[in-house]
Amino acid sequence: MATIQALTDQLKKKFGNAVTGVENPSATQLFIDFKKEKVREICNEVLAQGGRYLVSVGTDNLAKDGTLGLIHTFAFDKEHYFLSLRTATKESEPIESITPDIPNAGWSEREYMDLLGMKFTNHPKPKKLVTADDWPSDIYPLRKEVPFNIKPLAAENVAYQLDECPEGCSIVPFGPYHPTQHEPAHFALFVDGETIKGSDYRGFMIHRGVEKLAQTQISYNEIPFLAERICGICGSVHAASYSQAVEIAVGHKISRRAEYIRTIMLEIERVHSHLLWLGVAGHLIGFDTVFMQAWRVREPIMWLGERLTGNRKTYGMIVIGGVRRDITPELKQDILNVIGTIEKEMITIKNAIIGDTAIHRRTKDVGYVSTEDTIKWSLVGPVARARNVDIDVRRDMPYAAYDEMKFSVPVVDCNDVWGTVLVRVLETFEAISIIRQALDKMPNDGPILTPFEDAVPAGMHGITAVEAPRGEVTHYVITGEENRPERWRVRAPTYPNLQGVPMMLLNNQLADVPIIIGSIDPCFSCTERMEVVDLRNGGMKVMSQSELEALSRNKR
Amino acid sequence: MDILLIVVNVVVFLGLAPLFEGIIRKLYAKVQSRKGPPIVQPYYDLIKLLGKERLTPGNVAFKLAPMMAFASIVTVIMLVPLGFKVNILTQYADIITVIYVLTLGGVSVLLGALSSRNTYAMVGASREMITMIMVEPVLAMTLIMGALKAKGLAVSTSFFSVGDTGYGWGVALMLVVFLMALQAFVGRQPFDISEAEIEIIEGPFIEYSGPYLALFKYFMMIKQMFYAFLFVTVFMPFLQTGYYLANIGTQLGGILAVVVLISLVGSTNPRLRIEQAVRYYAVLILLSLTAVGLTVYGI
Repeated sequence: MATIQALTDQLKKKFGNAVTGVENPSATQLFIDFKKEKVREICNEVLAQGGRYLVSVGTDNLAKDGTLGLIHTFAFDKEHYFLSLRTATKESEPIESITPDIPNAGWSEREYMDLLGMKFTNHPKPKKLVTADDWPSDIYPLRKEVPFNIKPLAAENVAYQLDECPEGCSIVPFGPYHPTQHEPAHFALFVDGETIKGSDYRGFMIHRGVEKLAQTQISYNEIPFLAERICGICGSVHAASYSQAVEIAVGHKISRRAEYIRTIMLEIERVHSHLLWLGVAGHLIGFDTVFMQAWRVREPIMWLGERLTGNRKTYGMIVIGGVRRDITPELKQDILNVIGTIEKEMITIKNAIIGDTAIHRRTKDVGYVSTEDTIKWSLVGPVARARNVDIDVRRDMPYAAYDEMKFSVPVVDCNDVWGTVLVRVLETFEAISIIRQALDKMPNDGPILTPFEDAVPAGMHGITAVEAPRGEVTHYVITGEENRPERWRVRAPTYPNLQGVPMMLLNNQLADVPIIIGSIDPCFSCTERMEVVDLRNGGMKVMSQSELEALSRNKR
Repeated sequence: MDILLIVVNVVVFLGLAPLFEGIIRKLYAKVQSRKGPPIVQPYYDLIKLLGKERLTPGNVAFKLAPMMAFASIVTVIMLVPLGFKVNILTQYADIITVIYVLTLGGVSVLLGALSSRNTYAMVGASREMITMIMVEPVLAMTLIMGALKAKGLAVSTSFFSVGDTGYGWGVALMLVVFLMALQAFVGRQPFDISEAEIEIIEGPFIEYSGPYLALFKYFMMIKQMFYAFLFVTVFMPFLQTGYYLANIGTQLGGILAVVVLISLVGSTNPRLRIEQAVRYYAVLILLSLTAVGLTVYGI
């Protein structure tokens, strides 16, 4: 048991002067500053003590003290706290990579090579990750001196070089546009016949610089709405996670009722997201009947979302200090009715899927990853729980009202795609049960919004995680001047899980690629309709497809 | 009069194949709680595609392939005994011809895929080839069983063998095997492996558009109707009424029943992987050989 005290003592004992500071502002937060020379040893020691790697945060302190900051964050699930290991390096000095020991840090480190110009030694794959191929190599967009809307001249002759294709294999491109992926991403598959012998990934083609935007353009209270737009399916988790991070950083307490409403919204989102995934998974294995039926069952919860928040999706409900709309007794009854119907239909779906041997044939033993590798690669969410890794931040790091909810965390040991199907189906029932409990226990009084009394002080750190339908979302906030965060780092669950996909693909068949990539439930969003509202007279009109087409064509 | 029967064949198949396709789409939609497109949608699709621009990668094989496929299937339907009545062309062909010409259709698909030089088309072509090699024997065995039963290779002999010499265990087994292979014959779930939209983006047809794609689509619709027709004619001789027009009616009724079956199986199964499908086909081949063996011994 590495409690906060035990871990601090151990690190101080082992690394002596290399540990330069310890902060423990609240029960879930531990910050340790250390000298960069020891980075790899300290991270290894933390792993040995039972830490689970989350994400790294790079910061630009060049104007302040001429350094670039690097924060490796870990979760201690059993002891219920987050550990942030903070260090800094001079602009010109490299820092040792931790990727050889913690493979999932690979993307975080590559990201800061691209965005902050950090240098890492011994990184196994120091290739471009985030910036476009033709982005000039000497402009680091996340640095403070670089404006958010910079449009540099394109560099020339800089096409991305794929990893070397193994001998005897040919390359099958999945992407940048492919029906399997609902957003642009490029998997180059190295196949021998139909068997996959390797792959290389080039993504981030629609990176929108959300973090930069939040750090330079908008203010604390606006960021939840931007955060929600990170994901078109599970947006609330980002708004919730960001709001919590700020609240934790400055020690702001919100009302219990607001926490309950947050819980309800997050679980409603989980139900809709899992049903959506189930449908997509059916489509990916060529079983469109599952697709259509799952989405039919899901539709009422989208309408429910609209009645609760005004929107089918991107609820705009969770903000710093609480929530924006209350759940009235009528809405409460409405929720109960909708989830009652969905539960009944879910039971039918569950029985149909669990008994369908044809689905078993397409999902069992597909995308196998051993439990050890799952832990080594820090995979999260249903992807990890399908591989016998018992983690769920709702239980391990309770937030909102989850400390009072009774629910089980489905964990199976199939280690394959079938496991992810099972886990998600079972989780949907748990989510429905949580919504019922929350509606039942919700206190009737208390403001739904508790705004900040004073300005947010600068330089406070806060880290939090929220269990999104796809796994945990981690947000790290450093408060800053000018009413906006100095640094806001978002890590969506797809970020670690996508790094595990090449391992899942290895030695599987080409036909299984869609469902393997789909099994991590990569985020995508689609706009189903567009309404034009005339502000002068309040008239409303839904635009048809042909009108939208005409509009977009004329723009050219 | 001789010509008239052939014209009837062509008109019935070319005219109704898209309708059966439309019925399948509608049934899929019903199973999936959708409204679905109108039953005549496949006609609209064909007409629209036929009116579009012709895009090709510039080689002759690419243009020739859809025409060959279409021509081969039209050849087959011209000589089959629609309405349980042989026409003048039937006597010029035997079951070997039928198998050859049907295979030519599949080969044309391969030709088109390979000439398009697209990675997905290549993968699709290799899957299509495996499917052809593994499923064609079931078709051949069905016709050979008929030939053995009625002692003759002529199309009419083989097609009417069950009606002329009666059912037996061999026929019953072959009937089941044919039904099990039906989804593969017509390229529907769980055996739509060579097209697999979500994996290899329609495989062999990825580069096709406009009139060429229309020809391929039409080819597949007619092929689907032909296999349903073959099943009805060989295994359901009791549909004969003695009157030509009534026979066509009962045969179309039988085809409709087969089409319903195709839709129900197709809409309730996910797609298999090719190596899973191959194991399945291997069992079918063995069973069809057994059925032929049983027939030889008159069982």
